[in-house]
Amino acid sequence: MEFKDLDPILHSQLRLAIISLLISVKEAEFNFLKEKTNATAGNLSVQINKLKEAGYIEVIKQFNNNYPQTICKINAKGVAAFENYVKALQSYMKL
Amino acid sequence: MPDESIMTEQESMTLITSMINKAKNDFGERGLLYLIWGWVILCCCLIHFVGLYFFNYPNISLVWLVVYVVLIFQIIYMRKERRIYRTKTYTGEINGFVWITFAICMTLTIFICIIFQKYELINPLLLVLYGMPTFLSGIIIKFKPLIFGAICCWVLAVVSPFVNVEYHLLLIAAAVIAAWIIPGYLLKQKFNKQNQYAQSIG
Repeated sequence: MEFKDLDPILHSQLRLAIISLLISVKEAEFNFLKEKTNATAGNLSVQINKLKEAGYIEVIKQFNNNYPQTICKINAKGVAAFENYVKALQSYMKL
Repeated sequence: MPDESIMTEQESMTLITSMINKAKNDFGERGLLYLIWGWVILCCCLIHFVGLYFFNYPNISLVWLVVYVVLIFQIIYMRKERRIYRTKTYTGEINGFVWITFAICMTLTIFICIIFQKYELINPLLLVLYGMPTFLSGIIIKFKPLIFGAICCWVLAVVSPFVNVEYHLLLIAAAVIAAWIIPGYLLKQKFNKQNQYAQSIG
């Protein structure tokens, strides 16, 4: 089955997992996302960047007790994209 | 988790549900603070009541100073948690402000009653105030036992004018059992169940 109407940015297992986690919280730290998705740090980093380039999430890098910390939060464009993706999924599932 | 594997629509929905459940479980209310404060207030009430009316200790009300000790421990604990913080949630933030509002209102209420020397009003007014954050928390986190607990506080507040002042401490004790201790254990049970479910769906 082809998913022509599904957002290719979100129609990827790890990126969809990241967005689903971020839709549930106000913001999440990199290690939280890594633990919940069971992804490697490198792979997670790559997918976070893709979502950032697509304009779906914001990434804030800061220091916490001299340790670098990466915080991700979904933005309005990301929420809209996720909602459209879920609606498209639901329309396919009704077929 | 391979990121470019092809998913069916069902797999996509399952993944979304699984991730949302995992996120919910991580910041889900564990009931810890309800239990701590419930037991602290209950013990203070009972010690105060027994000390005053059975042993006639004049300064037994000083037992309430333990509340400030617990508050300091809570602040230290929450600061430590923030250092290893992993998520911020909308409901967590709002709920936090609800309880801060409660703490301010409670402090001001006690202060005003003391200034006006209306000591007999303190406990009935506290019963009214206990219901507020408990009810709002129950609505925010969608947990009915907290809502029922809040209603119990308000019922006890209505009953308090018809009860002798010396028994008001027992009304407070009953209120914290209904509003904080029982819901606290139920929240803990719910959190543990959700944790097991989240782990099972991986």
